[in-house]
Amino acid sequence: MADQNRGGTEQSPRRRGQGELEGQVLAVLGQAPGAVPVAWVQERLGGTLAYTTVITILTRLHAKGAVARRRAGRSFEWTAVADAAGLAALRMRRVLDAESDREAVLARFLTSLTPGDEQVLRDLLAAQGPGEGEG
Amino acid sequence: MGVFVFLPLVLPLTAWPIARLAEQHLHPRAATWLLSAVAGVLAVCSTLCLALLMVVGTAQLPGNPLPDGWSDPEVREAVPYDEIAGKAAIPALIAVLAACTRTAWRHHRVRRRAERALAGLPATPVAVLPDEQPYAYALPGRRNRIVVTTGMLAGLGSAERRALFAHERVHLARRHHRFLLTVQLAARANPFLRPLRTAVTYLAERWADEEAAGAVGSRRTVALAIGKSALISRGAPIATLAHFAAPGPVPRRVAALLGPAPATRIWPPVFTRVGLAAWTAAAGTTASALSSANAAVTLFLILHAATPM
Repeated sequence: MADQNRGGTEQSPRRRGQGELEGQVLAVLGQAPGAVPVAWVQERLGGTLAYTTVITILTRLHAKGAVARRRAGRSFEWTAVADAAGLAALRMRRVLDAESDREAVLARFLTSLTPGDEQVLRDLLAAQGPGEGEG
Repeated sequence: MGVFVFLPLVLPLTAWPIARLAEQHLHPRAATWLLSAVAGVLAVCSTLCLALLMVVGTAQLPGNPLPDGWSDPEVREAVPYDEIAGKAAIPALIAVLAACTRTAWRHHRVRRRAERALAGLPATPVAVLPDEQPYAYALPGRRNRIVVTTGMLAGLGSAERRALFAHERVHLARRHHRFLLTVQLAARANPFLRPLRTAVTYLAERWADEEAAGAVGSRRTVALAIGKSALISRGAPIATLAHFAAPGPVPRRVAALLGPAPATRIWPPVFTRVGLAAWTAAAGTTASALSSANAAVTLFLILHAATPM
């Protein structure tokens, strides 16, 4: 799916560029009055992207949970679920999850706290009383 | 020459005492610099030694592309048990190179992916992500960035948030990812250097804690911020990304901040017990690094002399 539009109308689909495209599509969807068809999104993007490219980006956003779609006749209509920051959060979560799963070797540095650590920490904090930063 | 050629492989063991002393008694900044440099030097010596052993061990094998002079008796004499050592060095060197490549590649992959994940956000120094999962990272790159989630911020008071940002800014400003990558690669190059990796990972966090405490003007606030975020946080996915709460024993960091500030002078004076121990350990490590280098260079010169020009 991610590779469908390689070498399509978009002449230099660099990987980083795709992340920016997703952001643009999401921004356009965010301004939509409601659920909109692909053509509406394509038009608002300035018409420089092919119809299939827009569908690919929308489908990818859908897989990430950033947009929702509902069937309208023979095609879909799309609505934004997350904004740009929300999309970044979803992407970031995927990066983090992929890494921590794969690298159990390093995880021992990074495990949050052992039960013993946690108790020591709670005692240390309790001895300090309420934080002065708390308002 | 004799068994001295093997020294660079085992001398990293001598860095353990200084890692311990530096961790406890030096200012975190000085200790991070010192231990990273020691780890880097020892790792390079060890790998170089491995490469030279491999050359000597394989030069007499038929069909190898190395100069014939390298299998001369004088060269072989320099390495005791040259047959076994040479052959053992081949898989060892391959393993070291593979592990180092993988570590470096992973480091860059995570940075690249994280940067891509944030593409499309406004180019602000701090990216706040709407996510209930609490985490905070310093992401070095062309555009240094601090990534923090609403979940993390929600658990902290305003002074503690300032402490968190100050801590991450120190990671970025002092380029801590370079120290972390150095010791990770070193630990891959020679497993005896792993305690240095642990020490530097901890010390970089302590360094950021202390500078953050200076920036917000309260060690206690930083201690509270670390403690609270550790209690609500999860582990960093990768050790080369400086993480706010997870790596190293968090309670030790909190306790250190609640205690007196470390001496700002880089190095303790000689005529105290700590100073004497630190100086002795430093001298010992320097000597090991030098003899590592010496063994590597000597072997290199022998090979060089044996090479027909």
